[in-house]
Amino acid sequence: MDWGKVKFFLGEVLRNFTRNAGMQATAIGTVAITIILLGAFLFVRATLAGLGNDILSQIEVSAYFTSDATPHQEAQVRAALGRDARIASVEFVSKKRGLAELREQTHGSIDTSLLTENPLPDKLRVKVVDPSEVPAVAASIQKMDGVANVVFPQTVVARLLALGGVLRRVGIGVIVTFLVVAGIIISNTIRLTVFARRREISIMQLVGATNMYIRAPFICEGMLDGVLGSLIALVALVFARLWLWPKLLLALPWIQLNATSVNGPMLSLELVAVGAAIGALASWISVGRHLRT
Amino acid sequence: MISLRGVSLIYPNGVRALDGVSLEIAKGDFLFLVGHSGTGKSSLLRLLYHEQVPTSGEIIVDGIRVDRLKHGRIPALRRHLGVVFQDYKLLTDKTVWENVAFAMQVTGAHTKDVMRQVPRALDLVGLAHKSRMFPSELSGGEQQRTAIARALVNNPKILLCDEPTGNLDPANTTEIMELLLRINLKGTTVVVATHNQAVVDRMRRRVVRLEDGKVVTDEERGYYYLGLGQGQILSG
Ligand SMILES: Nc1ncnc2c1ncn2[C@@H]1O[C@H](COP(=O)(O)OP(=O)(O)O)[C@@H](O)[C@H]1O
Ligand SMILES: [Mg+2]
Repeated sequence: MDWGKVKFFLGEVLRNFTRNAGMQATAIGTVAITIILLGAFLFVRATLAGLGNDILSQIEVSAYFTSDATPHQEAQVRAALGRDARIASVEFVSKKRGLAELREQTHGSIDTSLLTENPLPDKLRVKVVDPSEVPAVAASIQKMDGVANVVFPQTVVARLLALGGVLRRVGIGVIVTFLVVAGIIISNTIRLTVFARRREISIMQLVGATNMYIRAPFICEGMLDGVLGSLIALVALVFARLWLWPKLLLALPWIQLNATSVNGPMLSLELVAVGAAIGALASWISVGRHLRT
Repeated sequence: MISLRGVSLIYPNGVRALDGVSLEIAKGDFLFLVGHSGTGKSSLLRLLYHEQVPTSGEIIVDGIRVDRLKHGRIPALRRHLGVVFQDYKLLTDKTVWENVAFAMQVTGAHTKDVMRQVPRALDLVGLAHKSRMFPSELSGGEQQRTAIARALVNNPKILLCDEPTGNLDPANTTEIMELLLRINLKGTTVVVATHNQAVVDRMRRRVVRLEDGKVVTDEERGYYYLGLGQGQILSG
């Protein structure tokens, strides 16, 4: 290890970094704000998605058999559903048990003793692995012999699935916008340091430094902007998560928000990586533009 | 060592800076490139270190086909050359030592080589005792000697100087010229573009004269003006 080289290199990076402190602070601040928005957004999205999934995962598909379905037909349907990889569980509810459950749910407000015979058909209670496949699974059960009709909370599923889709699309849009804005600001910062160091760069080129070597300190500078900005953002996000979030939950007791669906350390790491990556990419581009002209 | 064949350079604005220049410079030569301002001296030097690409013609520097050089090979070419300018091009926030070391450090040299070569280059130009000073604390001649040390620190075979004494008084000019001669005596090929008649006439070295981008004379042990010393011009 050639420590002299390392020392020289770090000295150059530091020299760049401190040359234009105001601009550097602007870049770091922008990254920080970007990453705060990004982190908050990802957190909210994950929480909402978790909430939606909780609801969706409790959704059941009820498949009612025709009143004249033979036990053989019913067994065949159960077997077919058992083989279907999309289906998590199948529970058989006989007409007798169905009536008992109905009695229990209605707490006797319907006097079932008046019924001369059980009007309920046999049914299957089906849980689906991936909530987005509920409609498709329901449709395929509907087609089977001996099945009269299939019922599931259609509008709830549809709305939650639509919400998931909107969240995903809006999310990608918002994130891309954030990243582009941060990238532009970092790249302007680097452009200023490149401009301030144009004499140095031209001397480097004159004595035969490779473009890679000329680029390296600027890339590091951009990454430093990115990493410092995201670290500041992380402090703010952790503060918000530990301090503001419990207060928000207390204020909104009727919403069952479950924040544990967010992997904090992983998200932090990703945010810092994103910060470093925009920094590096932005300076790569702006130095490259200078070197080509 | 350096060879130009039928080299022309037309700038994008249409100026024909060089027009069919052919020139051979042998290893160990000391050559003055003279001519009025705007006759293409700087342009010719720029072609040699690939700051410009010729419009036509062939250029070979130390075995490298410069006119066909791929972009990625430019750094390798420049490590074979030292270049010195009228305005020194020193970094004002670095000391003499750091300015010279910079040329090695940015080409990835090992620290132990830097520690060995930099003092050697500074000794050669006689600035070892001022290595910790900044360019602003030096005379023009000392600044140019720093620039020469930087150009030589990577041990190039060729030293190109574009008006190296253009900003210097006669005493400093003599000092720099003697330094260049010493460097040449150690085996380095030296090309000096200048319009300083006194220097050229005193040194009596090979003189190539450009006019309107063409080589008009090429003399061993020549004068600034063809066949004539300074005194004769003045009296004639
Ligand atoms: N980068 C450039 N773009 C366009 N024209 C140039 C450029 N550099 C030099 N020239 C023109 O080329 C001619 C030769 O210039 P130059 O090589 O600098 O001459 P010298 O060094 O002998 O004074 C001049 O007419 C000058 O105006
Ligand atoms: Mg010139």
